[in-house]
Amino acid sequence: MSNYFNTLSLREKLNQLGVCEFMDNHEFLDGVNALKGKKLVIVGCGAQGLNQGLNLRDSGLDVSYTLRKEAIEGKRDSWKNATENNFKVGTYEELIPSADVVINLTPDKQHTSVIKAIMPLMKEGATLSYSHGFNIVEEGMQIRKDLTVIMVAPKCPGSEVRAEYVRGFGVPTLIAVHPENDPQGKGLAQAKAYAVATGAHRAGVLLSSFVAEVKSDLMGEQTILCGLLQTGSILSFDKMMEKGIDAGYAAKLVQYGVEVITEALKHGGITAMMDRLSNPAKIKAFEISEELKQIMRPLFQKHQDDIMSGEFSKTMMEDWANGDKNLLKWRAETGETAFEKTPAGDVKIGEQEYFDNYTLMVAFIRSGVELAFETMVEAGIKPESAYYESLHETPLIANTIARKKLFEMNRVISDTAEYGCYLFDQACKPLLADFMKKVDTDLVGKNFNEGKDGTVDNKTLIAVNEAIRTHQVEKVGAVLRKAMTAMKAIKTA
Amino acid sequence: MKPFNSPSGDFGLSISDLNFKYQQKQVLKGLNWAIRSGEQWVLTGASGSGKSTLAKIIAGSTKGFDGHIELNFKAHTPAKATALYVESWYQFKNLEGVANFYYQQRYTSLQAKDTLTVNAELGAFGRLHNLSVLALDELLSQLGFSELKDSQLIELSSGEHKKLQLVKALWLKPQLLIIDQPYTGLDAASRKNLNQLLDEVTQAGVHLILITNDDELPTCINKIAKLHDGVMEELSSFESSSALPKHYQKTIPSFLQQPPSYTSDLIARMENVSVSYGDKEVLKNINWEVRAGEKWLLKGPNGSGKSTLLSLINGDHPQSYANTLYLFGQKRGSGESIWDIKEHIGLISPEFHWYFDANATVWESIASGLYDSVGLFKQLPYSKSIQVDELVAYFDLSDDKNEFLHTLPLGKQRLVLLARTIIKNPELLILDEPCQGLDQQQTNYFNALVDELCGNGMTLIYVGHQESALPNCLEQKIELENGSVKIIESIKNKDRLSTLVE
Repeated sequence: MSNYFNTLSLREKLNQLGVCEFMDNHEFLDGVNALKGKKLVIVGCGAQGLNQGLNLRDSGLDVSYTLRKEAIEGKRDSWKNATENNFKVGTYEELIPSADVVINLTPDKQHTSVIKAIMPLMKEGATLSYSHGFNIVEEGMQIRKDLTVIMVAPKCPGSEVRAEYVRGFGVPTLIAVHPENDPQGKGLAQAKAYAVATGAHRAGVLLSSFVAEVKSDLMGEQTILCGLLQTGSILSFDKMMEKGIDAGYAAKLVQYGVEVITEALKHGGITAMMDRLSNPAKIKAFEISEELKQIMRPLFQKHQDDIMSGEFSKTMMEDWANGDKNLLKWRAETGETAFEKTPAGDVKIGEQEYFDNYTLMVAFIRSGVELAFETMVEAGIKPESAYYESLHETPLIANTIARKKLFEMNRVISDTAEYGCYLFDQACKPLLADFMKKVDTDLVGKNFNEGKDGTVDNKTLIAVNEAIRTHQVEKVGAVLRKAMTAMKAIKTA
Repeated sequence: MKPFNSPSGDFGLSISDLNFKYQQKQVLKGLNWAIRSGEQWVLTGASGSGKSTLAKIIAGSTKGFDGHIELNFKAHTPAKATALYVESWYQFKNLEGVANFYYQQRYTSLQAKDTLTVNAELGAFGRLHNLSVLALDELLSQLGFSELKDSQLIELSSGEHKKLQLVKALWLKPQLLIIDQPYTGLDAASRKNLNQLLDEVTQAGVHLILITNDDELPTCINKIAKLHDGVMEELSSFESSSALPKHYQKTIPSFLQQPPSYTSDLIARMENVSVSYGDKEVLKNINWEVRAGEKWLLKGPNGSGKSTLLSLINGDHPQSYANTLYLFGQKRGSGESIWDIKEHIGLISPEFHWYFDANATVWESIASGLYDSVGLFKQLPYSKSIQVDELVAYFDLSDDKNEFLHTLPLGKQRLVLLARTIIKNPELLILDEPCQGLDQQQTNYFNALVDELCGNGMTLIYVGHQESALPNCLEQKIELENGSVKIIESIKNKDRLSTLVE
């Protein structure tokens, strides 16, 4: 198997990278009809598998699960999840041959072996569905020409997919049809029906392509989403330790700060986040984020280049073949950082204090979001895709840091994201060494406004506001946020 | 407030000139109150009168008040020198520290557990307060809770959550124990047990303040007070209910005066329906049929399977797909979606209230009933928004309509969700302990409305533990015991209603 993207002509590369369209409500008027009465068989019954299956069945569709023989005989958790919720469960041989749609919801790493096992059993003209395009695009899996290949990728963990559905809402979701595998032209109708059956049409569906999904997803997760949040958190904590800030306070500021700061991002983009700062702090954060962008731009570009060329997935797959040697080593190292080992102190930090005392993180986030967005767009990815994979997802990852810090964040994201995150973190820290030497506690640990009278120069402030508000990520974001019918807080406590 | 041990002193609470404002509204207005050693109080008052706020101020969890509070503890007594406030609202979190639950969650079987077990929760509480494990086992068996030790918190019903809270409080034995709505969700036997246990702990030096409008009280209660208009008024006897409210005379909005349009005469039919989790059987061979226009009382002790039975009808239970079940004339699992089912039903239950969207306003919460969603995600057509306005006015909620639901007192929140259940004039009303947290006046008011709606032909399934909280229109009853049908019979004589409740 060879990298699918690299087999394409430049024209076709750009063509597939450039697919991205926010789908209007009227696209979903046909409801779940395209899948009604069809036999849907889900491979795998973990969190994503079970919760999607519950939604599909509750939407009136015929759903059953197929598991490996050993999982059934050993009555493993996946078997219990499916049978205890009264789903029919069978082996590949029992269920795949009669399936109209086979939905692969196994972990990325197993895709090649799973697809090789099920493809020969699939009936002529059936559909194969993925929730991530890595196997098709990076591993170059070739699917039988009579089969239709679609993707439905909810942009949330499985538990949220279920929780939002039963509330009568849904989660933002990306759908795609693989152009090499749509022999009957039914792929899009089926993907839309699938999206409706999980409630996605109420929260926003983005029509993408396998290529655009993979290339933007990889870029977002390893740079701004996981990589820079990790680097920024560790550097901020170390700086506060160096300057004698109380360790418990510093740990709490860093652990919860990203969540509070990116909550503003979720509601009103970079503009809203920067507006939470005082005028002098905003100008300062703008200046240092400009500097950060300059320092980090080559690194962001390298990541994008390696993703586009297939270099990144090649090295990562070598590590998979090597028993995850590098991944496990880097994971252990993250667990040993001072930030990870210092428990958050029992101190109260007010909501505004997180902005005032952690201006450095605001600067990190602005620079990271804008850089990731700009780099993706320059590489041929549509601004809408780039928005989703940068700004939109940042608060979701920040939530996991607030819950359980970096080690856990890395454990819950996909292995692919985790691997890329470590690569970025290792390259980024030395790059920022000189920059961090200049940083003092006014930017991290203490209130930036302390001892300042709040005066700013009119012209400077106007120019800074202008630069923030007219950035393309803000323009695209404003439209997309409005289109998502309800901007819901993911967590309620 | 500074609690202290006076060396020769006895237990005592004294409050003078207490003032408290919440969102521009003066809740407590120069309140004075004293509790002396040996006094056991019941605190009554209308929903929203400030009872819970006062309790939180006494227990030290709400600050920002004006006035003087002095709380003295006795030095040598088995009861702990502390004040504990048991909220009527029990919030727990999953292992990741968030409370993003949905009310159907406990019906889904998932191997990766994400909440604590009862045992682990109690263990952590015991370690925190240095409590003896021996005393716990006795308490658990007294409240009939021992079997639930290995259950996940998410699996407990509302009555069981209430018991868990009570177990903790009785285990701790604080010198001042304030319990907000101690009886909500408890069946008759559990209420008796609880009263006995409360009598016992007062012997050990615990002083009680029970916030309730219930008149079935422990014998130790010797003082009754009513919080009214921001001040405390001591009563000579328990004031069970005031005169019928004036709202009662109001005519219901015209869109609710129409009989609901039925799609089928058959509302629900169950044939040998069983539900189990692993080895644990929750429902066993249930046979039951509900026809259009019937009014059912569903009863049975805590944990007998009532909520699970209702979840099958409301399309909320994954195991309904493996059972022989007909809803609104259609066989379950024949291609219908849960939204097709919910469209016919207006539902409220304590769990539904617990896990409702806290970020919805009053108006949005009511409107969301039109789409059976938890929170509003759609724009209403004008004709429907007029109906929401009418219902808001009918329930006297106009002043609150733009408030977030969770900022209102619990009784009022409940009223909002009751309005939500009827907004679409549904064929079937499922009211699972609908009047929990309402005062007597609101309960009468709501039950009169239920009687009127049902008079117009609406079908009703009603769950209630307390006789004072049942509507008159009930005609038939089904009683569950340990997951089986104990009895199905008609209620021939309306006068027998009082004997319906254990």
